[in-house]
Amino acid sequence: METTALVEVQSLYKRYTPNGLYAVADVSFEIHTGELFSLLGPNGAGKTTTISVISTLLQPTSGAVRVAGHDVQRNPMAVRNVIGVVPQELALYDDLTAHENLRFWGEMRGLHGAELAQEIAEKLELMELADRAKERVSTFSGGMKRRLNLAVGLLGRPKLLMLDEPTVAIDPQSRRYILDWVKKLREQGVTILYTTHYMEEAQELSDRIGIIDHGKLIALGTFDELIQLVGQHETLRLRLLQEGGGAELAAALQSLEGDRIAGIIEASATNGEVLINVTSAEATLAAVIGTATGLGLSVRTIDIREPNLEAVFLRLTGRALRD
Amino acid sequence: MRKLTVLAFKEALVAFRDRGALAMMLVTPLALTLIMMAAFGSGSNSTPISDIPVLLLNRDTGTFGQVLTDIFFSSSVGNLVAPTLIEDESEAAARARVDADEVAALVIIPQDFSARIFPFGARAQALTGVDVMALSSDAALTPEQQAGLAQAFMESQTRSEEARTDSVIVEIYASPNWRISALVVKAIVSQGLERLNIQIAGTTNIVARQATAMLQAGQTDVDMASAMSAMSAGNAGQGTAGGAGVDLPIKLVTTSTTGRGFSWLGYYASSMAVLFLMFAVTSGGRTLLAERQRGTLPRLLISPTSALTILLGKMGGIVLTGVLQMLILWGATTLIGAYWGHPGGVLLTIVLLVTCASSVGALISAWARTPGQASAIGSAITLIGGALSGSFFVRWNLPQWVQYLSLVTPNAWGIEILSRLQAGRAATTILPWLGGMVLLTIFYYALALVGFRRQFK
Ligand SMILES: Nc1ncnc2c1ncn2[C@@H]1O[C@H](COP(=O)(O)OP(=O)(O)OP(=O)(O)O)[C@@H](O)[C@H]1O
Ligand SMILES: [Mg+2]
Repeated sequence: METTALVEVQSLYKRYTPNGLYAVADVSFEIHTGELFSLLGPNGAGKTTTISVISTLLQPTSGAVRVAGHDVQRNPMAVRNVIGVVPQELALYDDLTAHENLRFWGEMRGLHGAELAQEIAEKLELMELADRAKERVSTFSGGMKRRLNLAVGLLGRPKLLMLDEPTVAIDPQSRRYILDWVKKLREQGVTILYTTHYMEEAQELSDRIGIIDHGKLIALGTFDELIQLVGQHETLRLRLLQEGGGAELAAALQSLEGDRIAGIIEASATNGEVLINVTSAEATLAAVIGTATGLGLSVRTIDIREPNLEAVFLRLTGRALRD
Repeated sequence: MRKLTVLAFKEALVAFRDRGALAMMLVTPLALTLIMMAAFGSGSNSTPISDIPVLLLNRDTGTFGQVLTDIFFSSSVGNLVAPTLIEDESEAAARARVDADEVAALVIIPQDFSARIFPFGARAQALTGVDVMALSSDAALTPEQQAGLAQAFMESQTRSEEARTDSVIVEIYASPNWRISALVVKAIVSQGLERLNIQIAGTTNIVARQATAMLQAGQTDVDMASAMSAMSAGNAGQGTAGGAGVDLPIKLVTTSTTGRGFSWLGYYASSMAVLFLMFAVTSGGRTLLAERQRGTLPRLLISPTSALTILLGKMGGIVLTGVLQMLILWGATTLIGAYWGHPGGVLLTIVLLVTCASSVGALISAWARTPGQASAIGSAITLIGGALSGSFFVRWNLPQWVQYLSLVTPNAWGIEILSRLQAGRAATTILPWLGGMVLLTIFYYALALVGFRRQFK
């Protein structure tokens, strides 16, 4: 991956009223070219505010923001030329058709003629809206509107695509569709800033994640780095065919002093289950099963509880990410 | 420029896609025009044969003007006419009332009427203090008064040649839609002039007799005596002929509103169109706030398009929509028989009027906070403005101060200009109005700009 920063945010502060609270306070991060960067945070954390400043809609109160080397305050037009934004709320004309919306927004992006026609056809195809292109947006389902909203953000092939909670209030099917599509875009090399308050999404999609709360960036890094940050480990949960074999296995895993399996931190047996705290499930699972077999025990079910950002957020703020 | 047109066309497209708005823009004004027609209309061709409304403007400083207006109130005319004496200052307003077909005619008696038709009388009054018209045949005059009369007479004789060359003009300004009534008015004026003729002839006779008495007393010189006898000889025959009398230098001129005059259909077609243009355009201003709420405005602002282009495109779109609305209403009402005026003039007026109306929309959206607030303000302004400027009642029936006050609304300017166009008035009388409307437009847009600055800060 290239490491040139496409977006540089330095000590960004933003408040909406002269003496009000800061919606964003001292936020600094970079987004590298080709990277998918997520801002994860609860309602009111400052995600939309940050995107609005990067997209030149709002002026920073202080701090500097550069996109592709252009300062958002000094050269907003240059910034606007390289970005695509998919706003949190739908921003479409209900009385126009899907095609007319795309044409209008394409023109505003500076596209026209054959180039625009081709892009429109391409986006309609991509969003599976081609057969409804001539219908008014007011007749669309929520998921279709969302997809069109996304398509508009893609017009003009922006270098930086900003998606502000694109999966809020959406059916699971459309959500899956959007997540897959975001991954595809990332594979195509589009740099993406993605905001969400769903930790699974941030976890699944992101190269790096910034956790934001009350306008402050409280953690920043890859998923693994964030997990490590709070010492969260995976948990293996085993059920055995043999009743009472659990305690035996747990003891065995704990007491293998000399050749103890690397990566096992702790093992305990509770009402028919064995919980094994490991640094990496993948690395230790085979050895754990081997140990059980060695003791003449058979494993009925295994499941791996992965560490999650929910826990990270909880650890850092003392509050749950979701209300 | 390209983006500007794209924005404007988008705006118009959205407006014409909205069925509710479309009904408001086009169907309602047409329906109301027809309703207004049914309520007040089609009176334009029926001529009442009694109580013909006539305005009398008597500027004459002498007594003959009074004689002429009195006849309209006399029993011989009876209830044929319903005359109103008006003040000097309101001539323009009076003409406008004729244009609007409220009255059949306006009779204007000029300031020097008495002095010009009978210079001798005026001069004699000045020299002797005697009102010769009130002189009876057996009046006893002092020698000085007799001398004064003689001098006045001499003067009038020497001036008479030049005075005769240009006549006094009594104007009857009449609406072509009241043709028969105008003829009646003209007949009454003629009758009045006839009466004047008789009076003047009679007076001349009396003066001649006085002069004769003077001559017999030997109180004057020879020149005067010959002049007096010439006069009494000249008038004796005519006086007895009873009326043909002196050849008064009066020209009765009947003028009329040029072109077609007033028509209810035309008036309501255009004034309803203007009213609903105001509705559409002030709620068009609302769309800017709606776009802000709907999130399309932020999306526009982060596209590589300047805020000014967006604003101009938006306003351009509102103007385009309004022009289309007016063109459609113009076409539709023309099909049902309304005449709006010279097409070129109407087109120019529509474009300028819609631009002016859009300035009010801009003003509202620049200062209102929510779309709801904007449409409430817009509707209030439109309705009050409509009532003030004559969308519901004929404009010229409103008190003068209301007519002036209403000029703060584009509505009033629209009605003024369109009704002038409809009456077929000359371009020179319309252009100043168009100019005034442009100034109002500039003023409102300047105020709006201040508001937008505040919003986009
Ligand atoms: N236009 C505004 N005027 C005043 N305060 C605002 C405005 N927009 C946002 N805020 C405040 O700024 C803070 C951050 O809001 P922001 O919309 O950036 O949060 P968010 O992370 O996008 O939240 P959500 O997940 O609900 O979209 C909030 O406290 C919010 O109340
Ligand atoms: Mg948000």
